[in-house]
Amino acid sequence: MGYKTEWFKGIFPALVTPFTTHDTLDEAAYRQLIRFVLPHVDGVVPCGTTGEFSYLTPEERKRAIAVCLDEVAGRVPVIAGTGCPSTRETVALTGWAQGAGVTAALVVAPYFLKPTFNEVYDHFRAVDQVGLPFVLYNIPQCAGTHFRWWTAEGMLLDFDHTIGIKDSSGDLPFMEAMFEKVKGRVAIFVGHDEVVQPALAAGADGAILASANLIPDVWQRVYRATLAGDLETAQRWQQRVQKLVRIVVRCGSTQAVKEGLGMMGLPVGHSRHPVVPGGAFRREDRDELRLQLELAGVDKIPKAPVTFDLGRKQVQTEVFATPQTPRTISGFTLKVGEGFAGPPFTELAHVDLLLGLKDGPVGRAIERALAGWGEERGLRIINERPRTLLVPTVTLRTARQRRLFEHAAEGVNLAIRLSVEDGFLPEGILDEVALIVNAFVHPAASIAKRVDFNNYKATRYAIRKALEGRPTVEELIDEKAAARHPFRYAP
Amino acid sequence: MPVKLPWLKGVFPALVTPFVKKTEEVDEEAYRLLIRSCLPHVDGLVTSGTTGEFPYLTRDEQRRLVEIALEEAGGKPVIAGCGASSTQEALTLARDAQAAGASAALVVTPFFLHPSDKGVYQHFYDIATGVDLPIILYNIPQVVDRYLPRTVVQDLADLPTVVALKDSSGNLTYTMELLEYAGDRIDFFVGHDEVVLPALAGGVSGMILASAQVYPDVWQQVFRLVAEGELDEARALQRSVQKLSRIFCRHGGGVAVKAALQLMGLDVGVPRRPLKPVGGALLHETRAEIRLELEKLGKIPVPEARFEVPTGPLAGRFADLEITPDVIAAHGLRTGSGAAGEGLNRVQIDLIAGGKRTPLGDAYALQLTYPLHGREALTAILEPALTVRPPTLLLPALPQKNLRQANMIYGPTQAALARAIVDALEAGRIPPAAVEEDVMVALATVHPRALDRHALYHSVHAAAGRALAQAFPGTTDQEEGHHGLQD
Repeated sequence: MGYKTEWFKGIFPALVTPFTTHDTLDEAAYRQLIRFVLPHVDGVVPCGTTGEFSYLTPEERKRAIAVCLDEVAGRVPVIAGTGCPSTRETVALTGWAQGAGVTAALVVAPYFLKPTFNEVYDHFRAVDQVGLPFVLYNIPQCAGTHFRWWTAEGMLLDFDHTIGIKDSSGDLPFMEAMFEKVKGRVAIFVGHDEVVQPALAAGADGAILASANLIPDVWQRVYRATLAGDLETAQRWQQRVQKLVRIVVRCGSTQAVKEGLGMMGLPVGHSRHPVVPGGAFRREDRDELRLQLELAGVDKIPKAPVTFDLGRKQVQTEVFATPQTPRTISGFTLKVGEGFAGPPFTELAHVDLLLGLKDGPVGRAIERALAGWGEERGLRIINERPRTLLVPTVTLRTARQRRLFEHAAEGVNLAIRLSVEDGFLPEGILDEVALIVNAFVHPAASIAKRVDFNNYKATRYAIRKALEGRPTVEELIDEKAAARHPFRYAP
Repeated sequence: MPVKLPWLKGVFPALVTPFVKKTEEVDEEAYRLLIRSCLPHVDGLVTSGTTGEFPYLTRDEQRRLVEIALEEAGGKPVIAGCGASSTQEALTLARDAQAAGASAALVVTPFFLHPSDKGVYQHFYDIATGVDLPIILYNIPQVVDRYLPRTVVQDLADLPTVVALKDSSGNLTYTMELLEYAGDRIDFFVGHDEVVLPALAGGVSGMILASAQVYPDVWQQVFRLVAEGELDEARALQRSVQKLSRIFCRHGGGVAVKAALQLMGLDVGVPRRPLKPVGGALLHETRAEIRLELEKLGKIPVPEARFEVPTGPLAGRFADLEITPDVIAAHGLRTGSGAAGEGLNRVQIDLIAGGKRTPLGDAYALQLTYPLHGREALTAILEPALTVRPPTLLLPALPQKNLRQANMIYGPTQAALARAIVDALEAGRIPPAAVEEDVMVALATVHPRALDRHALYHSVHAAAGRALAQAFPGTTDQEEGHHGLQD
């Protein structure tokens, strides 16, 4: 019969597997990542889904697990992902992990070919015979099969070495069924970052999470607060990181976590193909993840001094800087930034933003446009510091379109205000530069709040991209082959 | 053993229900005109089906539609849609249809609350035994959210008044399974416009289609050709309406059909709310696509459009940017021109590049305040959020008169130009200094009647590549090497 261990509780990050630019395991980065999370966690999980186990050779998995064991050096438990599609391979790797000295194994439901529930049961029975404590792993989003509650119950209670189940489905009715059947006899872990707090509050013993690479301290606060019965604090922290973890979970968790760590100054490389930068984790998701990592209390991206060289004047500022942020920014004659935010389709925002000196092309264009066709075309100045001209990309024809464009204007202004506050538009340049914001609002847009918020996001991203010179030529060349303009194709 | 009905075959349009704008009242006159327009090519009519927005119609309205259809049908059969969530209501509708003189009732799987298989069987059983009218079962999981279970159909086929099943799922494995189990007792109709030919070839007796009121003539020919075994010709016809059929099935349903009829000059009004005539399930962009396809089919006339490419010395083609040959010479601006493609896919790209501090920098900024109506500039991007460097504006040389023309620029032309620029970056053709210091503007002349996005993409890519090669001649020319600038 399965059993409950004393150590299997709390917060466990599902570690990403760092790769070098040559796509080999980056052991130094792996050790650095482990050192970063270790003070905040109750254990670590190498080679889970977030660790791209399905893209690693058996030798690489063994090496990653060995490096992890070496770096952890017994300070916390190590639960190694050893699941494979076939029983034969799973048993072999689990046996190896036992010999290597892992504390337990995390074994995913056999995937791709879809075995029936009794085939799944016998798969795990074979794993049980290895003799290593192990955790059942339900992740229907990837594996394609959702454990039946009776299969999970049988496996947890019938076998000798099951110590718990990790449920990444986010399906709380399933988790409640697990509580009903096996609570107290084995550990029940939540693996879906968006429902950690409710799962813990309902009785889960802990969490194995992709986002615990990025914010292990926040999850530890949620866990501790829940244990102490302080639900209000636990809820507050869950809500504070809700957007952050939604991006991680829904937008290709491995690449999102990796780029997040990169922005935090922990370079871990990219995911392996076919996962690509700008794929499921879209460019706009990266800009949003960055903002979420900057949030007060999350505090994962430090501020750094940056000099704006306007030619005739140097302005010092402090901004949340990633390794991509230049420490000196010049070329204020004309800077171009583009921002995109959606969904939904009809409420998406697309912003072409120009930032430049008032006595340069941008300032001159604004004054000419205002003197000429400004009123006729619905252009207007929406801010004086910096002087900002808002231009509708699509001619506003109806009262409804004009009303919704007002909401876009509010979003653009919010982005400017917050960029002034966060230092990207420092006080010292506000009288020197001007902005042209050419904003697209779809003629069929309906939801005012989304038009407002998407334009805020698109403009905020565009300001930073213009100043930081993103995307870079290197990124363009990397991504050109896979780029897919959504309007290139017929319906 | 049920008897098959001899008339139950061929082409049946699932008629839209015309509504008057603002009041949303049924427009009876428009309904009559619609029926008259398709009657010569069809074998019967279907009122208040899914395309007819049946869940938005009252009992009285549905009965009235049957009456009008019977008056206009000239003796051809009228199948009355009698769909409802509850058995009682569906039965009432079927009794109304019988009283009005309909030839059969089309009864959809009960929806919203999800009854069990037994409940579904009981629903159809009660209707089939409660009314003296042939019953056509109707499977449409796209809106009902479930399939009519095969085992239920198998049993329902034993009832003497159940005569057919309309399968709108488009899932031919389902159709084939039903033909296997019930084909000896009932007829089958395909209800999914995208798979008419394979379904007919697989053994169904006819079709009940949204698009059979837009191009009933095409379907009548397909039906005849398959019956005669002329599959090659039938395939070509199916393919000629594939995209429109896909739009009707997946991008707007009855709303898209109404838009198509409207474009063809049949004013069938608006859908009932919450559906929007355009901007909801049917996007403006898709409506533009419908127009284009109807032009191809010859259902609406193709507007005249002149294709004139800028000629004369290249330096003289940038007057819209207030860039004269003198300015080009004085500031050392680079220019290049390239053309590619044939016929409607012919494209010319006239490109100008130069420093941000030159008059080109001013022109760039000014263009984003859009002085040229109908020729609004847009940034060259590989996809949203992947802006190329040096920053480049795409300026259509000919005014965009409608969304369909704009669809060729925003997307295919924009992305192809961007791709050509990034290719030039990778080849080392554009010097690193230009990436930081320059801006570019590309004047794109695209045929006003261009309609093939894929071909256009390749034309623009080739033309822009040539223009770039001319503007940046032999800077390093490593096109074979594909070196990044970082090397």
